[in-house]
Amino acid sequence: MSNTENSIDMTRPLPDVQPWSRPFWEAAKNGELLVQHCMDCAANIFYPRKYCPECWSGNLDWIKSSGKAVVYSFSTAYDMVEPRFWEDLPYTIAFVDLPEGVRMMTRIVECDPEDISIGMEVKVTWRKLNDDFFLPYFRPVKS
Amino acid sequence: MSKSGIAIIGIGEVPTRIMPERTPWDILYDTCMDAVNDSGLDKNDIQGVITTSPQAQPRLTSELAFGKLPEELGLEGCRDCCIVNAGGAGTSNCLRLAGQYIESGVADAVLVNHVTVHSTISVPELIAFFGQAGVDLQWEYPFGTTYNIVMGLMANRFMHESGCSPLEMASVVTALRSWATLDPNSIFYGKPVPTPEMVLESSIINTPLHKRESNVLADGGCAMVVVSAERAKKLGKPAAYKLGESARYFSGTTVVRDSDKVTNGFKVTAKEAMAQAGIQKQDVSIWNCYLAYPLAHPIMAEALEVAPEGKGGQCFLEGRMSFGGDIPWSTIGDAPGRGHTGSGVSSAMYVETARQLMGKAGERQVKDCRYVYQNTAGGSGFNNIVTIWGREPNE
Ligand SMILES: [Zn+2]
Repeated sequence: MSNTENSIDMTRPLPDVQPWSRPFWEAAKNGELLVQHCMDCAANIFYPRKYCPECWSGNLDWIKSSGKAVVYSFSTAYDMVEPRFWEDLPYTIAFVDLPEGVRMMTRIVECDPEDISIGMEVKVTWRKLNDDFFLPYFRPVKS
Repeated sequence: MSKSGIAIIGIGEVPTRIMPERTPWDILYDTCMDAVNDSGLDKNDIQGVITTSPQAQPRLTSELAFGKLPEELGLEGCRDCCIVNAGGAGTSNCLRLAGQYIESGVADAVLVNHVTVHSTISVPELIAFFGQAGVDLQWEYPFGTTYNIVMGLMANRFMHESGCSPLEMASVVTALRSWATLDPNSIFYGKPVPTPEMVLESSIINTPLHKRESNVLADGGCAMVVVSAERAKKLGKPAAYKLGESARYFSGTTVVRDSDKVTNGFKVTAKEAMAQAGIQKQDVSIWNCYLAYPLAHPIMAEALEVAPEGKGGQCFLEGRMSFGGDIPWSTIGDAPGRGHTGSGVSSAMYVETARQLMGKAGERQVKDCRYVYQNTAGGSGFNNIVTIWGREPNE
């Protein structure tokens, strides 16, 4: 197995950024969660696009999200993920709904996976990958 | 010829197995020759060849894309060939294109086929392919998601909304495997059928998905000979006639996929395809559903109104979709029962649709099989394509 393992990529994957999504990742470095916004039709857009998917306007800007969200669904992984994610097991992937009307994929952290439920209120917390990239994870809002 | 009317008049298939010594070209020869022989046509009658693109096999893909298959088989009458890729929806598009070849006069008879050999792909290549295919590399992949996790997210939400229990979910595997154990082309042929309790006893991969609810990667292939409905009728042999079709696109990535849009798409495509075929729900002899994972089957059963709302899982647990039940369903056992051959499971399901309508399904033969509903989907479920097939052409 050692020969095979040597050729498996164990490095952490970084987001494959498009030019128009750079402001999102720049803001993430400062702990700000941005949602793309169309200045012509007022649509909030996730994930960011080159042109508004609703009206094809190129007049796009960003709004700052509150960072609050609600868990739409989740799945906790115990096995059969890529070797590069093994050290994180078990971990929980979730879809979370932001009050800005968009849904993101994320991880739920800082809690026991057993305590995660659909409808749970969560808040953004940042996970540093390197100096350029911080991923928006979410943690439970402590009542 | 009726507009776009096509029929499958010959089928060929090899058993789905983990068999590295059986090369893709072994499978291509055997399946294609069997299909042509089954059709009763001569090899030189085949004028078009359309292949479902194999996934994660770049060398084979380019060989097939660049025209090697008609040459290998000595198809001297061949006028054109190509490959088609829409993941698990690939074969549906091959059949559409076969209809176009026939209608435009490019070909009178078209060979449609697929082959995949997973067992000789290196572990790093498999991991790289299945880790990233159909997953957005900016907004999903860096978080550590997988196909299995995507299915887990869907299933957890469905179970939350519908109240479907883990035991009911697990019973889908039991139903699918009850067909597979009787299918000589299944990797689980002759193997004991796990009970729902045994499924739940297997380890969790990711919630709520157990090991026995996931797929085994395997090797396989199949082929079909397609002609116009008019010609099939003249030939007077058992055939499967395409009677209706409908499709809906959902989304490329799961993060923006709206589950209501998907469920509604399942409903609308079924209704539109059945209306085009001139049949109703009660006319369907087999619901040949391709969903790759067991977890989506109760959702589909409810959307098709085969199961009452909120009772999809219960119908599986009661054995209604199992072999011998009153709702013949995915009679090769879908990917969990057949073994996962990339885009080939949906190809195999078309072959099964034809096999059942031709009356060649052996022990699994559904009695008086007149109409088959068949769906396919690509990627992580970017679309849903429904076709209705019958054993007689529409008047
Ligand atoms: Zn707009």
